[in-house]
Amino acid sequence: MAAEKSSIITLQSNDGVSIDVDRQVAERSMLIKNMMEDLGDEAISTAVPIPNVNESVLKKVIEWCEHHKNDPQPAQDDDSDSRKKTTDIEEWDQKFMQVDQEMLFEIILASNYLDIKPLLDVGCKTVANMIKGKSPEEIRKTFNITNDFTPEEEEQIRRENEWAEDR
Amino acid sequence: MHLASLNALPDEILQIVLFQLSPQDTVLNVQRVSKRFWRLGNEPLLWRYHCRVQFRYWDVKHRIRQKFLGSVGDVDWKMLYIHRKKVDTQTTEILDSILEDQANRIKKFNSIGEFGYDAKDTLLRHCRANETAEDVLARRYYATAVLDYVHRSEALAEWSRLAKGENVSLERALGSFDLFVLHDNYGDLLEIGDLFDKLVKRLCNERPNLDQMSSRGQAFAVATFLRMHNLTGLDSESAYRDLQNNYIGIALQDIHHPSLPLISVSIFCGLACRLGLDARCCGMPNHVHAMVFPESTQDRNSANAVGSDPIYLDPYRTDEEIPAVHLLEMLASWGIEPANFSRFIGDSSTASLVLRSSRSILATVHEFREQGANPNSHPTIRLYANPFADMDNAFYSALWANYMLTDVVSGPNLSSQRQFIPMILERFERLYPMDASLIEQYICPLYNNPSNAEHWELHEALRVVKAADQSPKQLKPRNTRSSRENVRYQVGQVFRHKRYNYIAVITGWDIECGMNSDWMAHNQVHSLSKGRFQSFYHSLVEDTSIRYVAEENIEIIRPEYPRSLMTLAGRFFKRWDKEKRLFVSNIRDEYPDD
Repeated sequence: MAAEKSSIITLQSNDGVSIDVDRQVAERSMLIKNMMEDLGDEAISTAVPIPNVNESVLKKVIEWCEHHKNDPQPAQDDDSDSRKKTTDIEEWDQKFMQVDQEMLFEIILASNYLDIKPLLDVGCKTVANMIKGKSPEEIRKTFNITNDFTPEEEEQIRRENEWAEDR
Repeated sequence: MHLASLNALPDEILQIVLFQLSPQDTVLNVQRVSKRFWRLGNEPLLWRYHCRVQFRYWDVKHRIRQKFLGSVGDVDWKMLYIHRKKVDTQTTEILDSILEDQANRIKKFNSIGEFGYDAKDTLLRHCRANETAEDVLARRYYATAVLDYVHRSEALAEWSRLAKGENVSLERALGSFDLFVLHDNYGDLLEIGDLFDKLVKRLCNERPNLDQMSSRGQAFAVATFLRMHNLTGLDSESAYRDLQNNYIGIALQDIHHPSLPLISVSIFCGLACRLGLDARCCGMPNHVHAMVFPESTQDRNSANAVGSDPIYLDPYRTDEEIPAVHLLEMLASWGIEPANFSRFIGDSSTASLVLRSSRSILATVHEFREQGANPNSHPTIRLYANPFADMDNAFYSALWANYMLTDVVSGPNLSSQRQFIPMILERFERLYPMDASLIEQYICPLYNNPSNAEHWELHEALRVVKAADQSPKQLKPRNTRSSRENVRYQVGQVFRHKRYNYIAVITGWDIECGMNSDWMAHNQVHSLSKGRFQSFYHSLVEDTSIRYVAEENIEIIRPEYPRSLMTLAGRFFKRWDKEKRLFVSNIRDEYPDD
C-alpha cells in the first residue's frame, strides 16, 4: 500500500501555478481520488487542473491535507442526520483556521469543490463559532450583510419566534 | 473572486453552518439577519435534525418513527420542534412549582401527564439532576414520581385496550408490568420491541440459512438460540420466586436473563413471531409452554410436511420438543378429566397470561412480606430502585391488572372485579394520590350508578384525597415556648430507633402525642416512661413507611451519608447537608422554622 501511494502528482491552480503533491495527500480530495481511479496512471503524467482554486488557497488546502493524510477516511453514511454533531474543533485545525474571512470562505468553497468533507466541516464549524451568541446586528457587522427587512417584518419575526426566548 | 461577505457562500454551505448552531441561535439571531437567512433557517431538513437529536421519546400520537422514515417535506418539522420545546418549558415550570409547594400537586401531576410521552425527555433530565443542584433530592424524587405516573398511564391504557378486545401484543401487555417499576431506566414498551428486533438480527446472523428452514426447523432454531445464550430460564430453582423473574424487560437486559416459564415462553414467542411463525403460549397449569403451529406459514419442505398439530416447546428448560403425549400424561397425573385436556393444551389469551403474571407477582410479594426483609433468603426483590418502594409498585400493578382483566378472562362478573377496588383505593390514598385521574378514567365509569355502594366509596375516597391535596398545610412555627423547648429534635435529623433499630429521618413533629386513643392503646403509649406527654415525630423510614415515634425512642445519629434514605428523602427534603449532617427541608410551607 505504501509503495502504491508514494507516487507524486501535479496540481495546477487557476492562476497557472503547478504544485507537486504526494498522491496520498491529494487523495484526501474525493474529487481527485475518483479522478485517479477513473483515469488510472495516465493522470500522473499530466498536471491536474483545479479551475476553481487559486495558488494561495490551494497551498493552504494542501497544507491541511498533508497534516491529515493519515486520518481515517470519513464514513460514507447517508444517515448523518441522526447523529448529534459536535462543534469541537481540534487544536491544530483551530490554528489553521486563524485566517482572514476572505481566506476562510475560499477554503470552505475549495473544500466543497474538491470534496474534502472533514475540511468543509471544520470551515463551517469555524463560521458557526463566529456566529454563536451574537445578536443579529453583530452578525451583520461581522459578516458584512445588509438588513433587508422592513420594521414590520422584523416585528412579525420577533413574535413568531417568541417561543425560543428564555423566560 | 472577492468574498467580502458571508452572503457570497452558496445555500448548501450556509445550511451546513446552520446545522452547527443551536435552535435558539438560529431563531433568535441568524434568522433576523436578513431575508435569505430567514428562509434558510426554516428548512424542514434542519428542524427534522433538531427533532431527532434533541428528543428521544415522543408521544404515540405523533407516529414519529413513520414521520422520520417519510419524506422530509410531508411534515412541518419546525412546528413540531416548537411544540416539543414548549412542552419542555412547561414541564419544567410545573415541576418547579411541585417542588415549591405541597398543595395542589395532583393537578400539577395531571397537567404534565397530559403531555404524555412528550414530557419524558424533560422528566428524565430532572431525574438525573446534577448532584450539586440546590434541591437535587427533591427534584430527582418528584421528576421520577411524575415519570412513574406517565408510565402507569401508559400501562393502564395498554391493558384497557386489551380488555376491550383490541389486538395488543404479548410483549407489550407483559411489558406494562415493567412500566410500573421502570423509573428512569431503559426498557419501556418501544424499547422492549427494539431489544427483540436486535435479538432477531443476532439470530439471523448466527443462522444465515434460517429462511430456508421449515417452520418447524425455525422453531427449534429459536429455542436453541435462546438456550445457548442463556436468554431464558433461571440459573437456580431456589430463585424461582424472586420478583425480578416476572419482568420481560429485565429478562431481556439483565446479564443473567432470569425469567419464569411464562416470561421465557413470551421471549420465545416474541422472536418466533418476528420470523413469521405462528407461536403462542400454551396454558398448562404450573408451567407455561410454547406452541408453534407449523401449517400457518408456508413449509418449504412440503414433501414431508407435518400435520396441523402444534409443536410444543419448553424454552424455560430445554431446546427439545416436548411430545404432546407427555403433556397429556402430566394432566392425567394431576387428576384432570380427559374431557378438559383440550383447554389446557390449547393456547392462552394474552389477557389470561397477564393475569397469570400478576398472580405470580402477588404471591412473591406476600411471601416477601411474610419472611421479612432478609437479604440472604429468597424471594429477593431486585428491580430498579429501592426494593420496598418497588414492591409497592409491583403489588399495585398486579391489583390493576386483576381489576382490568379478571372479567375478560372469566366472564363478566362484577363481584370478582369489585374485590380489587378497596385494595387499589387503599394504595391510592397512601401512595399514589396523583392517580386520581386514572381512577376516574378506569374505575368510576363502571360504578356510576348512585344506588350502589362502590359509587359512594369511590367518590368519597377521591374527594378526601383531593381535598387533602388542595388545602395548604397547617403552619407549625416554633413560636411558643413549648414548641421551642419541649420539641428537642428538628425536621431533617436522622435517627436510629432505640427499640427497633431502624434508621429514619424526622419529617414533622407534635408537642405531644397527636394520635387518637385507639392508636395510643394499640401502640402502648402508656408503657413509655414519659407516656403521651412528650414530643412525637413523624418519620420516614428506609423501608418507605412513615412512622410516628416518641422522643424517648429516638437516638439522633449523624451519618456521613445516609445511603438507604437518599432516594426516598426527596419526598420531603432538598438535599443532604454534609457539613451539618442533616437533610435540608423542602416542607417549609409546613414547618417554617425547621
